[in-house]
Amino acid sequence: MRKIIHIDMDAFYASVEQRDHPELRGQPVVVGGRPNSRGVVAAASYEARQYGIRSAMPAAKAHQLCPHAIFVKANFETYRRVSATIQSIFQSVTPLVEPLSLDEAFLDVTDSLSERQTATELAADIRQQIKVQTELNASAGISYNKFLAKIASDINKPNGQFVITPERAQTVLDALPIGRFHGIGRTTEQKCHNAGIETGFDLRNKSLVQLQRLFGSSAQRFFDMARGIDHRPVRPHRERKSIGIENTFSKNLESHSAFVEALDQLSHQLIARCERQGKYGQTLTLKVRFGDFTTYTRQMRLRLPATAESLLDTGVQLLGKANPEQKPLRLIGLSISDLITFDQRDVQLNLRLE
Amino acid sequence: MKLSIAKNDLLRPLNRVIGAVERRNTLPVLGTVLFQLNQGLLELTTTDTEIELKDSVQVDADFDFEWTLPARKLFDILRSLPDDSTVNISLAETKATVQAGRAKFTLSMLSAADFPKTDSVGASTRFDIVQEDLKRLFSRVDFSMAQQDVRYYLNGLLLEIEGDVLAAVSTDGHRLSYAKHQLPAMVAEAKQVIIPNKGVRELIRLMDDPATSAQISLSDQHIQMRSGSLCFTSKLIDGKFPDYRRVMPLDNDRIGTVDRNALLAALNRVQILSNEKFNGVRLQFAGDQLSVQANNPEQEQAEDAVELNYSGEALEIGFNIRYIIDVLKVIQSETVEFKLGDSNASVLVLPPGVDDVKFVVMPIRL
Repeated sequence: MRKIIHIDMDAFYASVEQRDHPELRGQPVVVGGRPNSRGVVAAASYEARQYGIRSAMPAAKAHQLCPHAIFVKANFETYRRVSATIQSIFQSVTPLVEPLSLDEAFLDVTDSLSERQTATELAADIRQQIKVQTELNASAGISYNKFLAKIASDINKPNGQFVITPERAQTVLDALPIGRFHGIGRTTEQKCHNAGIETGFDLRNKSLVQLQRLFGSSAQRFFDMARGIDHRPVRPHRERKSIGIENTFSKNLESHSAFVEALDQLSHQLIARCERQGKYGQTLTLKVRFGDFTTYTRQMRLRLPATAESLLDTGVQLLGKANPEQKPLRLIGLSISDLITFDQRDVQLNLRLE
Repeated sequence: MKLSIAKNDLLRPLNRVIGAVERRNTLPVLGTVLFQLNQGLLELTTTDTEIELKDSVQVDADFDFEWTLPARKLFDILRSLPDDSTVNISLAETKATVQAGRAKFTLSMLSAADFPKTDSVGASTRFDIVQEDLKRLFSRVDFSMAQQDVRYYLNGLLLEIEGDVLAAVSTDGHRLSYAKHQLPAMVAEAKQVIIPNKGVRELIRLMDDPATSAQISLSDQHIQMRSGSLCFTSKLIDGKFPDYRRVMPLDNDRIGTVDRNALLAALNRVQILSNEKFNGVRLQFAGDQLSVQANNPEQEQAEDAVELNYSGEALEIGFNIRYIIDVLKVIQSETVEFKLGDSNASVLVLPPGVDDVKFVVMPIRL
C-alpha cells in the first residue's frame, strides 16, 4: 500500500503577510485586488474567512462582506522564496514531490519511511520543520492515494493533520458533502443536488449506468471517487505547459455582454493564477463550447507583460473569431501557453511604433 | 448530370485554390469548393470569407450547373489517383459520385446557394507587375509579419504605392523589414493597404509562373490579383500601419561591414548552444573582428568570429539570433552592413550601397 502525504499551507499568502507585517496579525487580511477594482481575492486570512471571504472571489464582493478588511497587494517574490524553502524541506524527505502550486504538494513517502516511523509521524515532522524554518502553519493529509490525502488535509485545517486509513476511508467519504469532492465544481454540484446526490454516500449508491447518464464520460471517475479509488501516481517535476481556467455555466450564456462579462472574470482569475505560478504565457487560447457540445479553440499571441485588461481585450477578439454568429455558449475557457517565468520576460526590446 | 475530365486538368486548378480552405471551419460550407459550370468553362472557387481564390478550366460538358464538394477530400482523392486517370463526376440532388477506374467515391454536396460570395472589388488603383517581381518583393519582408498579434494591423504586410515605387513593409514589433520595387510606369493614385498574413502567403505561393504578368487592383477593402485564369481576392486589414519611416534609425554612425555568408555560417554554428526560448546571441563589434557568442541555460557556450570592417567605438550588443539569420538569408549581396547606435538601440542592416531593402532589428537587453 502506498503512503501519500498532502501538505497544504494555511491561508498561505495572507499568513506570509501577517508574519512579515505584525500589525496585520489578528486582522481580516485580503491579499489580491484592490477593493474598488475588478480584481479577485488571491488569499484571505482566517479572520477574513469568518466573513465568508474566499479566494477567487471578486475583491469588490469581499469588501462588501467585510468593509473593514485590510486589502494587501500580493508579493509573489516573497511567496516564491518561502515556497522554495518549503520545497527543499519536501526534497529532503523524498524526491517524489509533486507541487500543485506554491503552497501545496503531494509527497509519496512509501519508500522513505524508516522501520519505526509512520507516515503520520513523518507528516508531523515536516509540518514542524516548516514552522521552524518559515514561522508558518501547514496542514497535512495522510492516506494511501492522492485523492484521499487531499481530502484528509482539509479535515483538521488549520494547523492540523488527519489520516485516512483504508478502514476509515468509506466512512469519511460517505459523510463528505458532494461539493467537497475534487473535480466537482459549482455546476456539477448543482446537477448532483438535482439528482438527489448530497453526500458521498448518495454518490456511491448510484450505479455506473446511472452516473453515465448524469456525467457522461466522467462517470467512471466519479464512480471511483465515491469508493476512494485513485491510482494516479505522484509525479515529480511536472512541468506545466499551460495555465488555464474555464467555466461551465449552469445556464447557457446568450448575449455578447454576458460573454464579455464572463471573459472579464476569467481574465482576472487567470492573471491571478499566473502570478501564483510566477509565470506568464505568450499565447492566449480561448475555448468555447456551444449548446450542442461542439467545441472550438482560437489562439492569439500576447504582448508581454499581460494584464487582466489585455487578456480581456485579446479574449474578446478571439471570441469574435470563435463565435461570429454569437450563438449561446455553455462553456468559456481561457488558457495561456508558451510559458516563461517572470525574470525572463521582456528582455527583447520593442521598436517604437507610433 | 455527368462530367468527364482528366485528373490533372482538375487537380491543377484545385491545387491553386485549395489554400483558402481552412482545415477547421465554423461554417461547413467554407470547407467546400464551389464549382460553376457555364458554357463549358468550369470555375472553381474557395473562400474563408477573408480570401477568395478562383481558377478555371475548359471542360467538355453540355449543361450549366453550380454545386459544391468537400474541398480537402476531393483534393486528397484526386492526388491518390494514377496520373493518367479520367475522372467521371455524376451529380445528383445531395450526393456526387467521383469515379476513376474501379475507384468510386460518393461525396456529400452542400447547397451552392449557401456559398459566400465576395462583393465586387470596384478598384480605384491598378497596376501590372511581373509575377517574379511581386514574389521577390513579398518574400523579402514576409518573415517579419506579426502572427496573431493583438495589434491586428501588424498581422499582415503593408503595400504602399507612391508614383512608380511599390514598397512592402512588415513588423512584429521587434523588427521591421522594408523592400521596394520600381514599377515601369507611374500609378496615378498613391495608396497604402495592409494585406493579411494568409493572403500574403497565398500570393507568394500562387506566383509560380515567373515571367507572366499579374494585374493588381486595390480598393479600400480589397486587393485583387488576376493572372491568366487565376483570380485572388483578399480583404484588407482595416487599420493604420505604423509610420515605418520614423522607425528607421537615422543617427546610427557606427558602421560595420562583414561577409554575409561567413556571418550566416558562424551564427548557424553558435545557434546550436543558444537558449531555445530566447535564442540570444552576443555580437561584439571591435576593430577588425566581429565575435559572436551564445550560451544556454546549461551554461554551455559557443563562440565564433568573422572578419570585420569597422571604424566605430567597440560595441557589444545582444540579439535574437533568429532575427539576424532571417535578415541575412533574404539579403542577396556578398557583404552586409550593420549601422549601430548603442547596445539598447535599434540596428539597421542592409546591403551596402543600395536602398531597395532595409531591415531594422531591436536588440535584447544584455
